[in-house]
Amino acid sequence: MVAGLVWTAAKVAVPRLVGEAIDDGVAVADRSAVVRYAWMIAGVGLVAAVFTGLRRYLAFREARWIEADLRLELFTHLQRLHVGFHDRNQTGQLMSRANTDLQQIQNVVVLVPLTISNLATVAAVVVLLVSIDPLLTVLALGSLPAMNVLTKRFSTNLHRPLMAVQEESAELATVVEETVSGIRAVKGFGAEADRSTRLAVEADDIYRESMASAQVRATYQPALEVLPSLGLIAVLGYGGHQVVNGDLALGSLVAFNAYVVLLVWPLRMLGWVVAMAQRAAASAQRVHEVLDTTPLIVDPDVPERLPESGGEVRFDDVTFAYRSNGPLVLDHLDLVIPAGQSVAIVGETASGKSTIARLLSRLYDVDGGALSLDGHDIRHLELAELRHAVGMVFEDTFLFSDTIAANIAFADPHAPHDVIVGAARSAGAHDFIEALPAGYDTLIGERGYSLSGGQRQRIAIARAILADPRVLVLDDATSAVDPSKEHEIREALSGVMGGRTTVVIAHRPATIALAERVVLVGDGKVVADGTHEDLLATEPRYRSVLAAWARAEEDGDADRGGVDGDRNVGGVDEDVDGVAGYGGAGDGIDDVEGIEGALR
Amino acid sequence: MMPANAVDADSRLDRRNAAHVLRRAAPMLRPYRRQMWIALGCVVLSTGAILAGPLLVRYGIDSGIAEGRTDLLNWAVVAYVVVSAIGYLASRSQVLAVSLVGEGFLRDLRRRVFDHLLRLSMPFYDREKAGVIVSRMTSDVDSLQELVQMGLLQLMASMLLIVGSLVLLAVVSPVLLLVCLVPVPAVVWASRKFQRDSNVAYLDVRDDIGRTLSSLQEGVSGVRVVQAYGRSEHQVARFREHNDRLYRSHMRSVFVQAWYLPVIEGASLLTTALVVGIGGGMVLNGSLTVGTLAFFVLTLSNLFEPIQQLSQLFNTVQSSGAALHKLFGLLDTEPDLEEPEHPVDLPRSGELVVDDVGFSYDGSVPVLVDVDLRLAPGERLALVGPTGAGKSTLAKLMARQYDPTAGSVSFGGVDLRDASSAELRRRITVVPQEGYLFAGTIRDNVRIGRPEATDAEVDAALESLGLLGRFRSLSEGLDTQVRERGSRLSAGERQLVSLARAALADPAVLVLDEATSSLDPGTEVLVEDALEKLVEGRTVVVIAHRLSTAERADRVGVVADGRLAELGTHEELVALGGRYAALYENWTAGRR
Repeated sequence: MVAGLVWTAAKVAVPRLVGEAIDDGVAVADRSAVVRYAWMIAGVGLVAAVFTGLRRYLAFREARWIEADLRLELFTHLQRLHVGFHDRNQTGQLMSRANTDLQQIQNVVVLVPLTISNLATVAAVVVLLVSIDPLLTVLALGSLPAMNVLTKRFSTNLHRPLMAVQEESAELATVVEETVSGIRAVKGFGAEADRSTRLAVEADDIYRESMASAQVRATYQPALEVLPSLGLIAVLGYGGHQVVNGDLALGSLVAFNAYVVLLVWPLRMLGWVVAMAQRAAASAQRVHEVLDTTPLIVDPDVPERLPESGGEVRFDDVTFAYRSNGPLVLDHLDLVIPAGQSVAIVGETASGKSTIARLLSRLYDVDGGALSLDGHDIRHLELAELRHAVGMVFEDTFLFSDTIAANIAFADPHAPHDVIVGAARSAGAHDFIEALPAGYDTLIGERGYSLSGGQRQRIAIARAILADPRVLVLDDATSAVDPSKEHEIREALSGVMGGRTTVVIAHRPATIALAERVVLVGDGKVVADGTHEDLLATEPRYRSVLAAWARAEEDGDADRGGVDGDRNVGGVDEDVDGVAGYGGAGDGIDDVEGIEGALR
Repeated sequence: MMPANAVDADSRLDRRNAAHVLRRAAPMLRPYRRQMWIALGCVVLSTGAILAGPLLVRYGIDSGIAEGRTDLLNWAVVAYVVVSAIGYLASRSQVLAVSLVGEGFLRDLRRRVFDHLLRLSMPFYDREKAGVIVSRMTSDVDSLQELVQMGLLQLMASMLLIVGSLVLLAVVSPVLLLVCLVPVPAVVWASRKFQRDSNVAYLDVRDDIGRTLSSLQEGVSGVRVVQAYGRSEHQVARFREHNDRLYRSHMRSVFVQAWYLPVIEGASLLTTALVVGIGGGMVLNGSLTVGTLAFFVLTLSNLFEPIQQLSQLFNTVQSSGAALHKLFGLLDTEPDLEEPEHPVDLPRSGELVVDDVGFSYDGSVPVLVDVDLRLAPGERLALVGPTGAGKSTLAKLMARQYDPTAGSVSFGGVDLRDASSAELRRRITVVPQEGYLFAGTIRDNVRIGRPEATDAEVDAALESLGLLGRFRSLSEGLDTQVRERGSRLSAGERQLVSLARAALADPAVLVLDEATSSLDPGTEVLVEDALEKLVEGRTVVVIAHRLSTAERADRVGVVADGRLAELGTHEELVALGGRYAALYENWTAGRR
């Protein structure tokens, strides 16, 4: 701010000094005065130069700092917000809050100190010129406020076509993206011509919108350029006559000229600021909305502590819906799992079985009834303690762009290597990890090595095993694992499950058989409860559910299941539908190891 | 919003590449010659107008004011008005002309690059990462767009203005110009250093933006895992690291700017001081007029302002040049499969013969060796074998998605390399593993099999697979928009549409890659039925992942270790007691 004002003073002084050099030096033939003024200009110029850099640096430092700070705050808040919030908001939208919107805000913040010194410049120049010749000031600067108005209008009018160009570019990107990722279909069916036509349409659209934006620029830009000339002309015409008449010094005329030129940029920038401030206000509003959302799932004020060991899970008359007034996913469900017991939960798609898993680690809160762990309502426990006690393996495995070791050690980054290896062994992942180029240090994820669906699931299981929870929840966790490997994992899992409360959501008989007890759920309730053999013998509904799944995987090849296939059929599976975008991580299930594996 | 692109090593442009880019761009600009001349003319005119201003002020002062000749002063004023008007009009048309050229060039470039991508064959797509290919058409072309919209005109105008100012100053007073040149070495040195530093800083910032956004995206899309494991703090710490790094990169980039601007500003004002000091002295000696002095002071801003603007444009120009270089590099990539010069038509039906075929992806490691195979018209062959043993490769060779490195593949006696790619697709259709749909209606998607087909033919193709009723029963029937990648339909329904495409194409040979993932219980049956109808009467090669498929085929080929290890009917191979028999036994045992 101070830097800005010093800059203002120096900038404003220069034309004045030039004018006085002409009037007090050149005009009166005072050579020493000329040299003196030249030195003064040089000195003031130096000050102006230094402070130009300084004011810019300081303005950006402030703005970038605010941007970085807000982004961190936004991220921290997003990490704390309940899963229900994330279900409703697409990743892309949240990303643009933290990116585009913060950019808009930063753009304006950086301009605030610059604008203040620019305003000061305008004021100083006006005062100075009025003191020399008020009428000439009006003539010289009269057209300049128009520049301010024009710039603002320019920026506003340009915004629309620029947005349209962006939108059309996004559509073109979609065509390119779907063509490249579907290149097998394009080549297989010879669809090149069709794709080419589609792209041509999008390219034409971009062209059209770009030309619309060029039209706007052609309207305003030249006008903005020509406006200062009007001031210069007025100075030359009216001021020239004044000088001839002896009413104005020649140096002042030159100074007037220089001032008109000096004011061009500050005035243009003022116009930009107004237009950008409007956009930034909208952005700030959107960012604020996110920051203002209260996390619904938080630590209790006075947390209770879990006993040293245990693992008893109790669903007591639990009701739950993903949306208020939405369909009930769990409908007065009662279920008690004694500590150390393993339970398989079986049901059709949309029966609510995955929801049971998600409620256990309190990703959502129950709407009615209560869910307790070792006698404590889980809402009365510290989140960290609860989530340490409940280990989850999701059906759609999400791995981080990091090494395999770091992914397995997610729950405890300081875990020693042999613990990591032990967990990988238990999950049947050790052998393939060892075979990778960099073993446990192999980078995976977006820019790293891509694993098959089955491999990803095994790493996710290892991650849960390493956490060593008292309750382990496996939500269809082996669905993409090749059956010929699954029996290895099954053996390992039965070791892990020994003495630990385990909830397995599955539909392969062999996996179900791992559990001591089977619970069949349907329409959000427990329909039947017993051992696998009991239910097979006594429950026709159990048999029909198993048979439906078995048909789907008929050939004993891939048990990668219905949920993936159903994901796109709106409403068929509200488990999945309720958490829209849940599977967006794009875990390509391509573990083609069925008969191939056996053949090796 | 995508995570920003990683910075490639070739984001810089050296001189040799720049020359290459210019050479390649020239022919593409030829259709816009007229517009380019207009644009150039306008830029010259408008620059001239800007330069004429100070000249007229000088004339007004020297000839008018100093001599007391108000008539000449008035002339100068009128001339200034006229010049400004011309400048205004010229700059209006130059914006439009430059846009016409630039946007037109971009439109052509987009189409050309995309059409070229479509011409490239499967080996290219197997080699390159999809993300990189897409980024050629998106971020690379976008950085050119930025140049066209924001910088191209400014670039031309700034350069002209600098040159014009120098020339004028030289004409008006060579001595004073020499005075003005005193700070030039400092400006040149600073500008070169700035170019280097700011390019480094710019690439750093771009890279760090990419990293920060990736980390952001990971945190948001992985939030369920993060929360389930109670690792929010850890995740925030990771993000903070990237975020702080981005901040520091931003600040380095600001620093480079903040250091350079004062040099230019200082040079500009120092020059003004020199002009006033030395020029003032010259006026007193009578070797310079006051008007010329004023002219110099005014023109100096025409000289330094564009220098500063050029320095701001440098990064845009640099990255656009690099982008263009990459795009031309892509255009120079030849398709791996050559089109025959004199294409031969394929017969309607015939034997598909694989004759002594060998293949290697990289020229050294053989993938297939000595494969011989004859398929009679209408015969169904199932290929089985371990992953990586070469069965998919063999199927690709049989549809000429790749060319064999030894031996040949022919259909009805015609080597596949002698047929045009259009002709080939008409006779041999490859149905990919998953039903891949494009945004558009169901009808559009089926029609991809044969673009010139009528609506009735599309209906007939669906009907032939027994699917017409099913899709008609959707609320908007065949006009249902399937959205991007067909996300509105289930995986099974997408597969059905894909099969209908093949039915519409009506080829003699079908190459099927069997789906590895099973579908939901309902549609699985439908897909099997449709498939059964589709293969009726056609030669079929199926990459089988399920033994039941192999069991139903006329013959089974076991591909192992790059060879066709076993070939025969299911019964023969079971009786043979080899790999297939072992596999089959294993499977039946597993089925209980």
